[in-house]
Amino acid sequence: MNSRRAVGSLFASPWILTFLIFWLFPLLYSLYLGFTDYRLLRPSFHWVGFQNFAALFSDSAFTEALKNTFYFVLGTIPVTTIVALLVALLVEKQFAGRTIFRSGYFMPSITSMVVIALIFTNLYSRGGYIHILAQILGLGPPENGFLLSNKTALMAIMAMDIWMSVGYYMLLFLAGLKSIPEELYEAAVVAGAGRTRQFFSITLPLLKPVALFIVVINTIKSFQIFTEIFVMTGGKSGTSTAVYFIYETGLSRFEFGYASAAAYILFLIIAVFSLAQFGLFQQRSLQ
Amino acid sequence: MKTNKLYAIILIVSLLGLLSCSGKNNGPTTIEWWQFWTDPSIKPTLEKIVADYEAQNPDIKIKLTDLTWGNGHEKIVVAFSSGTAPDIVELGSDWIYEFASTGQLMPMSKDLVKDTSGYYGWPPAIYNNDIYAMPWILGTRVLYINRTLMIRAMKDSNFVPITFDQLKTLCFKIDSLGNGVRGFGSNAAEKHTLYKKFLPFFWSFGGRIISRNGNFAVISSQKGYDALKYYKNLSDSCSLVDTQRRIEDAFLAGKVGVIISGDWLLKRIRNEKINIDFMTALIPGPVYPGKSFVGGEYLSVSAKSPHRAEALKFIRYITDRENQLAFCKANYSANPSNKETANDKFFNDDPALQIFIKEINLSPFPAPDPQWVYIEDIIETMLEEVLFKGMPVADGLYAARGKIQKLIDNK
Repeated sequence: MNSRRAVGSLFASPWILTFLIFWLFPLLYSLYLGFTDYRLLRPSFHWVGFQNFAALFSDSAFTEALKNTFYFVLGTIPVTTIVALLVALLVEKQFAGRTIFRSGYFMPSITSMVVIALIFTNLYSRGGYIHILAQILGLGPPENGFLLSNKTALMAIMAMDIWMSVGYYMLLFLAGLKSIPEELYEAAVVAGAGRTRQFFSITLPLLKPVALFIVVINTIKSFQIFTEIFVMTGGKSGTSTAVYFIYETGLSRFEFGYASAAAYILFLIIAVFSLAQFGLFQQRSLQ
Repeated sequence: MKTNKLYAIILIVSLLGLLSCSGKNNGPTTIEWWQFWTDPSIKPTLEKIVADYEAQNPDIKIKLTDLTWGNGHEKIVVAFSSGTAPDIVELGSDWIYEFASTGQLMPMSKDLVKDTSGYYGWPPAIYNNDIYAMPWILGTRVLYINRTLMIRAMKDSNFVPITFDQLKTLCFKIDSLGNGVRGFGSNAAEKHTLYKKFLPFFWSFGGRIISRNGNFAVISSQKGYDALKYYKNLSDSCSLVDTQRRIEDAFLAGKVGVIISGDWLLKRIRNEKINIDFMTALIPGPVYPGKSFVGGEYLSVSAKSPHRAEALKFIRYITDRENQLAFCKANYSANPSNKETANDKFFNDDPALQIFIKEINLSPFPAPDPQWVYIEDIIETMLEEVLFKGMPVADGLYAARGKIQKLIDNK
């Protein structure tokens, strides 16, 4: 028995070692660094207690980045989730070319984020197709393109993110829809329930676990928005987000202590949001 | 018998060890050099210079490692902090202070002090009265004027704006030509770029960011206010506001009359055979001439390099008259640090290049300061607020002054 356990441990050890060295140690070490004034190139560093955390909340760059992140999260998650659900309901039905539509919606999810961001940068620029279309429709787009205006840059990135994410969440909703037993709808029809009633009384309640999963992972992903900002605006035009701030502070200025503190604040925010979402969904399920 | 065998093994191992050690000592010394010139138009020239050096110095081998401007700084910082820095490293002018002040670079005053009169660009290389880098290729920005648009607007083929008033007149007149033509190319909120376009105006008006004694932020002086007000007026009234690359595209397409750019645009016009009637001119000022932004690339030796003498010898070689000339010709760049090179016929016969040489002599380098990266950020944020978010000029400058003063106080 002992030798079986030893063999098992031996097989698991590569993963355990990787986890300990590359996950757990950096995680705990960065927490420690958050309480120090550690900067790369400096020969020594000191324990500063909560000084970094206090400084962050009076740092306008961080609070602005945090505000933008919340704006991004709250602006994209409901829209992405609702649109993904609607698209899933549409492409679930049998019709000619259904596979083409499904593939089409899913395609952006498997395309490189950087490629998409570069394409949209051109589309949003002055003379880009989206800019021209907005002019034709009389929407009064910013003269110098969407990404160079503080009023539209973040919204433009949010719109792109929704377009890009819908396909993936549509697929998850489709899987959820497939798992709903057909008999429930048949029974509802016999009981005289219309399509709207069926949707609100059968489809939505039974999709709740999938919806929870989608909302939680989308929340985590949205709080971590970085690549789009890095490629499209470099954090300018009022688009700096929390992770972009951490990147700038940690990997551009090498203020590891300050950046670690910011990362842990973001971690706490994500944890609180995720727990609240779990709680909310569980409460609704009980009701 | 067993003992004999053991002795034999020990002898063979020792002999092999000795041979390997002596082989190591007899082989060429490898100097590792991290550098940023990866463009196919210049890399072969660089490799040829290195190959020639190796041929002349068979005991030295130069190992080139390419960096990119996208992540080169990060790689250098990590290399220094982990003790794996190369012998020679190419540094941007605003990085030298950061590495010198943390003891990562070798002081070179004793070796280079006699060279100072023969080269431009020393201020960023000096920290605590010691030289930490050798100026190599410098860079500045000048005015580019589309002559076709200028002649149409000013009805004078010999017009050159030498004061800010004349520059404004030229830009407004070109802007009024219509057909989507704009007078001036003004930079959008583009990282590491926007402040470089404003500072020439700021310095030309006589503005200072920090007082001479280094104790006070003085960016919000009357001169600073005049500079920002002037720049905002140009930007708001007659400018195409876009990224540097797109401004240059529009200039080359005849859609913008006047822009500020570096010598890379000359290279682009030449390489892409763009048909445009243009001229370069010095940055104007309230009084002629004004000042521009100057930076450059420098060569430093790591403090931990075991090949100090060899590294310095190579740095001297690559920055000498002939090699800088070969480099500038291949790159079609106008900014050698070597004064003899700058006086070569190659530059004197080309009016566009000549303007760059003159501008370097007229312009200040940004004050070397370990906090410069933060000051740069503060100035860019201020410009973004004032130019694109409607903050009043005085408020923007005042807020920037407060932030810079805080940096000085916390130093």
